[in-house]
Amino acid sequence: MKTIWSPEQIMQAAAMSRRSFLGGAAAVTGGLVAGPFLPNAAQAAASGDIQIMAWEGWELVDELKEWREKNNVSIEVSAMGNQDDVTNKFNMPNPPAFDAAEYNQGYSDLYIDVIKITKPLDKSKLPNYSADNLFDVFYDKPTWYRDGKLHGVPYAWGLNTIVYNPALMEKPTSYQDLLKPELKGKIVLVDDTLVTWPVAATLAGLGAKFPNLTKEEMAQTFEHLKQYRAQARLISLTYGDVVSLMVSGEVLACFAGWTGIPTETAKQGVKTEYTIPKEGAATWCDAWFMPPSVDNEETAYEFCNLAISPEVQAKIATRNAAGVVSSKAVELLPPETKALFDYSDVDGIFKSSPLLGIPPLESTEHATYADWVAAWNEFKAG
Amino acid sequence: MSLSKSVTGSLLSAPTVLYMAVFFIVPSLILFAYSFWSAASYQVVPDFVLKNYLGSLTSPLFWKVTFNAISIGLWTATITLILAIPVAYYLVYVARSQTILYLILLTWFSSYLVRIYAWRTLLGTNGVLNTVLLQLGIIDHPVGAFLFSSFAVTITLVHIYLPFCILLVVASLSEIKRDLIDAARDLGTSSIGAFCKVIAPNAANGLIGAFMLTFILVAGDYVTPQMLGGSSGQTTGLLIADQFRKTGNWPLGAAQAFLMFLVSLAIYFALLTAGRMSGLVVHRPRKKKEA
Repeated sequence: MKTIWSPEQIMQAAAMSRRSFLGGAAAVTGGLVAGPFLPNAAQAAASGDIQIMAWEGWELVDELKEWREKNNVSIEVSAMGNQDDVTNKFNMPNPPAFDAAEYNQGYSDLYIDVIKITKPLDKSKLPNYSADNLFDVFYDKPTWYRDGKLHGVPYAWGLNTIVYNPALMEKPTSYQDLLKPELKGKIVLVDDTLVTWPVAATLAGLGAKFPNLTKEEMAQTFEHLKQYRAQARLISLTYGDVVSLMVSGEVLACFAGWTGIPTETAKQGVKTEYTIPKEGAATWCDAWFMPPSVDNEETAYEFCNLAISPEVQAKIATRNAAGVVSSKAVELLPPETKALFDYSDVDGIFKSSPLLGIPPLESTEHATYADWVAAWNEFKAG
Repeated sequence: MSLSKSVTGSLLSAPTVLYMAVFFIVPSLILFAYSFWSAASYQVVPDFVLKNYLGSLTSPLFWKVTFNAISIGLWTATITLILAIPVAYYLVYVARSQTILYLILLTWFSSYLVRIYAWRTLLGTNGVLNTVLLQLGIIDHPVGAFLFSSFAVTITLVHIYLPFCILLVVASLSEIKRDLIDAARDLGTSSIGAFCKVIAPNAANGLIGAFMLTFILVAGDYVTPQMLGGSSGQTTGLLIADQFRKTGNWPLGAAQAFLMFLVSLAIYFALLTAGRMSGLVVHRPRKKKEA
C-alpha cells in the first residue's frame, strides 16, 4: 500500500523547524533573563512583531498606526503577487514564520481541508466577528467554516471586470466590445486565474457550471478565450503591472481587471474606469487566516479583529475601492466608495455573482485544477 | 612542518566543497529523487514512476516552451559574446583600464526589475525609440512590435548579461600573453589572423564557458521573457515554477528541471564538438608527470 506523505511529514522527522528552534531559544533566553520579573500568569496582550502576507495596499500598516504605536506592535509585511505565493510558502516542508495571511475564497477547500495550513480560530477573541457587525453573506458561512470552527476572517470583497480608459475608447458594454478591430493590441489579460477562468467560462456559455467543467468544456472555454488572447498585447503578471501599462498608454482596457486599478492610475494622473458588462463580473472575497504555527497569536488575533472593525474597514475599502464586510462600516464610507456597490442588497450581489472555488483537485468526471493550470499554460504559450 | 600540496589543496577547498555538498549536491539529489515520485492534490507520494519524464518528453507544451527558452538563450548568448569579445580585447590588450571595467560593471548597480521597466519605457509605443524614429521621419506611426516581442526580450537580456559576459571574457583573455600575439604578428599574420590563430584557440574554453554561463542564465530566466515577451514570453522556467507554485506538483517540476539540465548539457557538448571540428577548440591532452 502506498503511503501518502505530505511535505511536512517528510521533513518532520528530519528537522526541527526554524520557528520551533527560534521560539524555543527565545523562550529559554527570555525565561532566564526576564523570568524573575514576570508575574505568575502572563496577561495576553497585543505587542511585539507580527509577520503577515498581504496584497500590496491591503496590509493595514497605515490604517492600524494608532494601535501599533499604542501597543508597540510592529507589522512586517511580505507582499503577495498572487495567491500562489501564499500557497507555496505555507505548503513548504518548513514554512516561514508568519502570523497571518490573506487568502481568496477560491482556495478555502485547499487551505482548510487539503494542505491544512489554517488554524481553527477562537471566535471569542474576535469580538468584531459578529452577526451584528458583518453582512450575512460573510458571517458563519461554509466557505470559511469547517466542523463548527472558523478558519478565515472575511475581510474585503470586490469585483473583477472590464477596466478601461474613457478618454481613449468607448465605454464597453460587453466583453465582445474588446474584440473591436481598433482595440487590437490594446487590451491586456492578467495572469490571475481566479477571475479569468470563471469569466472565460461565462463567455463560453459555461459560467453556471464553473468550476465543475468536463475536460471538453474546459477546452471549449479556452478555445473561446483565444480570440481575446489574439487581441491582447500581453498577459500581464500582476495588477501593478496593468496599472503601469494603462498609465503609459500601452493598453487601453483590461479584461477582468481589479476595480482598484482606477484608484491607482488616478494617483499617476491617468483616469481609468471600471464598468460591468452585460455578461457580469467575477466576485472575490479575501479573508485573513492564521497558520497552525502562528507565533504571536494574541497580537494576530487583535490584528484580525481590528481588520473587520467598522473604522478600519471604511479606511481600507476607501483606499482600495473595494467592498466592506462590515455593515456598520457603510455609513463611514465616503460617497464615492459607498457608490461602488449596492449595499442595500449585498446578498443579491452574491446571488447573481456567487463566490466561486477553484476546480476540483481530484476528479474523474471533471477537469481538475492541474488540468486547468496545464491548459492555461498552453493558452498563454499561444 | 610543511603540508603537502594535496593536503593544502584539500584544506583550502574544504569550506567550498562542504558548502556545495550541503547546499547544492544534497538538495539536487533530493530533487532528483522527487522527480521519480508522484503527486496528488499537493501531496507527494514517494514511489518510483517515470511518468514525470515520459509525460514531459511527450508534451508539445514542454517542447514548445523549451524551444523558446533555448532560442532566447542562444540568441542572447551569441550576441552577448560577440559584443563582449572586442570590449574585453580592448580592456586586456589596449587600454588596460580598470576605470572602464568599473564603468561597465556600473549597470549592475541598478535593480534587475528597474532595468526591465527602463526598457519598457524605451521600447513602448510612446517610448523613446518610437518618439525618435517618428521625429526623424523614419516611421509614420509608432511601432508596437518593439515591445512585448522576442526582440524586446533579447535586447534586454543582452543588456543585463553583457557586463557578466565581459568579465568572463576578460578573465579568459588575461591568460594569453601579449608576446604570443606579437610573435604571430611578427610572422606576418594580420590582426584578425592573430585573433583567429592565437587568441581564439587559446581562449576557446573560456569563451565557451562565457557563452554557456550566459546561455544557462538566460534560458532559465522566466521573468524578463514574461514581462517583455508578450505571448512569446513562455519559457521552461515558468512551466517549472508553475509546477511548484500553482499545482504543488514538485515531482513533475523536478523532472522538468532535470530535463532542462540535460538539454543544457547537450548544447554544451554540441558546442564543444562543433568547436573541435572547426579547429577553434584545441584538445590538449594532459602531460604525464615525468618519473
